[in-house]
Order: sequence, then structure tokens, then C-alpha cells
Amino acid sequence: MKQTSKSSSKASSGAHLNTGNGPTIMPVDIGHSTYFGLMDPDSAFWSLVAKVKLSEALAGGQELMKTFRLGRSRFLAEMDTLRGGLIPSAVYFNPTDLCNLNCSYCYIPETMRKGGVSMTPQQLVDALGILKEHFARTLPKRTKPQIVFHGAEPMVAREAVFSGIEAFANDFRFGVQTNGTLLDDEAVEFLTSRGIGIGLSLDAHVDRIATRTRTRWDGSSIFDLVTTVMRKLRDYPSFNVIATVTRENMRCLSALVDFFHEHGVGVCMLNPVRCTRQGARDIRPADHEIARYYLKALDRTYELFLRTGRKLVVANFANVLVSIMAPSARRLMCDISPCGGGRCFFAVSASEDLFPCSEFVGVQDFCGGNLFTGSIEGALSSQAFKKVTSRRVEDIDPCKRCAIRHFCGSPCPAEAHEMNGGMNQPGAFCGLYEEQVRYALRSIADGRHDAYLWDGWDKGTETLIDITSL
Amino acid sequence: MKNKMKAVIAFRKICKAKGTGLSHYILMAGKEK
Repeated sequence: MKQTSKSSSKASSGAHLNTGNGPTIMPVDIGHSTYFGLMDPDSAFWSLVAKVKLSEALAGGQELMKTFRLGRSRFLAEMDTLRGGLIPSAVYFNPTDLCNLNCSYCYIPETMRKGGVSMTPQQLVDALGILKEHFARTLPKRTKPQIVFHGAEPMVAREAVFSGIEAFANDFRFGVQTNGTLLDDEAVEFLTSRGIGIGLSLDAHVDRIATRTRTRWDGSSIFDLVTTVMRKLRDYPSFNVIATVTRENMRCLSALVDFFHEHGVGVCMLNPVRCTRQGARDIRPADHEIARYYLKALDRTYELFLRTGRKLVVANFANVLVSIMAPSARRLMCDISPCGGGRCFFAVSASEDLFPCSEFVGVQDFCGGNLFTGSIEGALSSQAFKKVTSRRVEDIDPCKRCAIRHFCGSPCPAEAHEMNGGMNQPGAFCGLYEEQVRYALRSIADGRHDAYLWDGWDKGTETLIDITSL
Repeated sequence: MKNKMKAVIAFRKICKAKGTGLSHYILMAGKEK
């Protein structure tokens, strides 16, 4: 992983940009009337330079390039740590294979969702006990690991999930990602009174569109049920909603943003559909189409903020923005390579099998072992996990030539493997990332970026550079 | 707050946390009580 300049010193002193051992500075048109981007892809250094000042900015004697050269080794070291020096602190925990819904794009195989297994309360408590011991050995004392109950539908195993939360209330930070249909008043009270994170899924602001992708097994709607739960969770601070973006709903993203904002949602994700299975690929939007509607939805969140003073953070875009401004302060680990799967987090299936990420549950080639019969350390160092943890943008075409490769990471390895035929293939939405990063840089150029970010996003950071003049 | 008058905009922050450094799914898991 080390990128720090260590080789070929005899061939070149590295004194010049873009020749010999000198760093590469790539120009990037961000689509802004005043500013142009200059980037060093390896160190994720970026700058926005007034177009009329470009040649001056690139001259060796100017402050910008001097600061860049002075800071480059530290930037590279930071990226090395981010990409190779972290250890797992979170677990996607699937307490059941079963789901009461049949969403068309689900990445869990249908046979599992219909006829799979569920953990008993005792099994789940035992599993969390093993995880607690593991993290006690591996994490710094003050770091509390995270458990996100994930799906299939975790609330199908409600008794087990709640038993685990009660037994380990002081040991983990818990979250539940749920379709919401099984969250009755008692469940809402149980979760909210304990400060448990709750993520719902909803793909549209109206029943007609939401039901195109998310229904019960008999095809009936769940829209009214989910929106009722949304109203109950209004303004709950640990509440978010995930919308999966497909061809079926991309045109309504701005209306969906309005809907979320009206319902007091503070954080949402607009996740492009994960194309690991055919059902998802059938409704995959073209990059240029999803990008168009996605950016309009971001514009809409900004308008809403200006009008009401209340933010609706689109978390996956916010993460891209943070990855530019403070690479190691990012929260989601899909947009960096290697991704977070198997190195920042891992997944436990209902059969207690260990996978690098939930996206691989059901793909046995990526099973690294079993929580009860093997060891977590063994899984983390298994060949199955290494296939994911060794996937780097430098080995992928066109990413190896891309200026924004460390703001994107070419997600996701599961898509690369299942859809594109290999781990060293790009993911599904290269074009969307290109547009997101350009949008993010334009928002920085215009001083709008804070409106897209969660409050306190830079808590615990220090400023390395802040340049405003040549 | 427009930046039009600036010749250059370049800043970078670094996360000071050691060890794991990151809270992966902070937007999902519950906040600290």
C-alpha cells in the first residue's frame, strides 16, 4: 500500500511536476465558471484555482505548489493509514435470512429470504458475546464498537435482536436497518428509549412509485405502513431513511427529498441500486440519467436549507464531500479502495458465517469462516476476505488513470465480481461518481458545502492546509 | 459566502483520532448516550 516516494531516486530528483519522479498534478474541469481543479490523485490533494491564474499557480515558486510539496508526504501517509492501517470496529449483523418483503433489487438470494434460518435469542446473545471479546482485544479502550442489525429484515427476529440489545447495552452502539413494517409502537418505544439508530427504507414519496420496487411477497403495498412509522420517528435524532435509486424512481428524487424534509428526516441516503443480482440490474439506471436527477435532488436539499434553515443531509453525498475536504474523517467506507469490507467492518450472517460485507452474504466464495466454529482473526486473514481487502483502484482500469480515484474508490467489489466479471473491474456507477465529485467541488468553490454536511462533521479534525491566495 | 474573489481555494483537514480512527456507520448506529 505504501505510496510514499521511495524509489528511482537516481533517475530523477522529483523536482518537477509531471515529469520524472515529480508528483502528478492533473487538471480537472469541474464545470464552474471561475475555478478549475488541480489534483494529485495519489495523495488526494486538490485545489481550485481561478482559471485566469492557472499558469501562475502551477509555477514552482508559488505558495500553492510549495505548500503541496511540503505537505505531500503527510498527505500520502494519511492515505496509507486510511487505506491500510485501520481495523474493524463495526459489524453488519444479519439475525435472520428471512424477509417479509420481496424487493425487486434485494442482494440476498430469494431462497434465503423465503426459507432461510433465524437466530434464536440465545444464539444471538452468544454471538454478540464473541464479538464483544474480540473487540475488547482489538480496539482502544474508549472505542465502542458498532453493531448494525441488517437484512433481510432483522425485525423478523425481533425477540433475538431485542435480547441482544438489552444484554449488551453498554458494550456496543446499536443500529437497526429495517423496512419498518414490523415496527409497532412497542418496538419504537424499545428502540428510541435506548437511543438505538433506526434506518428505514422508502423509495418514493407516493405509493404508486414506491410499490414498483418494494412490496410484500404477494405484491401488496407497504407504503402507508412505512410512512406511518416515519411520522412516529419524526425528529428522532438517530433516525434516517435510505432510498434505493433505480430507473423506477430516479425521476422523483427531488420530490422524495421534499417528502423526507417535510417528515422531519434529518439524514437520508440516496443509494444507487447495488447491481449484484439480475433483479437489480434489470432496473439499473444509466449513469448520465441517475446523475442528472441525483444532482437535482442535491440542489433541492440546498434550496430547502436556505428556505427553512433545516438540513436534510444526503449522507452518501456528504461522505464524498468529506472525503475531499478531510479524507480520514469520512464515515462511510464504500468510496475508498480497498473499501471498508473486511477491514473497517465485516458481516455476520444468520448462520453465523463471516463475510467482508452484507453484499456478499449468500456468495459462499466470500465466506471467511464461522463465528462459532472458527475465529474472527482467521476470517479477517482468510483468502475469501483478502479478495476484497486487496482490491485497489491502482489495479483497475480506468481508475488507475483517474484524478478522483480516492474520492470514489470504484465501488463496489461485490458488483465488480458479480456484474462485471472480476474484482479488478470497476463498479456500476463510475459516471455518477464523476458528477458527484464535480458537484462537490463546485459547492466548495461557491462556499455552499456546509449546507450538505451534518453539523459537527469536522469535530476531532485539525486543519493541515488552508490556502486562499497565490 | 461567495469565494469568487479568491485566486485559490485549497484546504485539507485530518482526523486526529488514532487506532481505528473512524466510526464507520455513525449515521446509522445510535448516538452515544
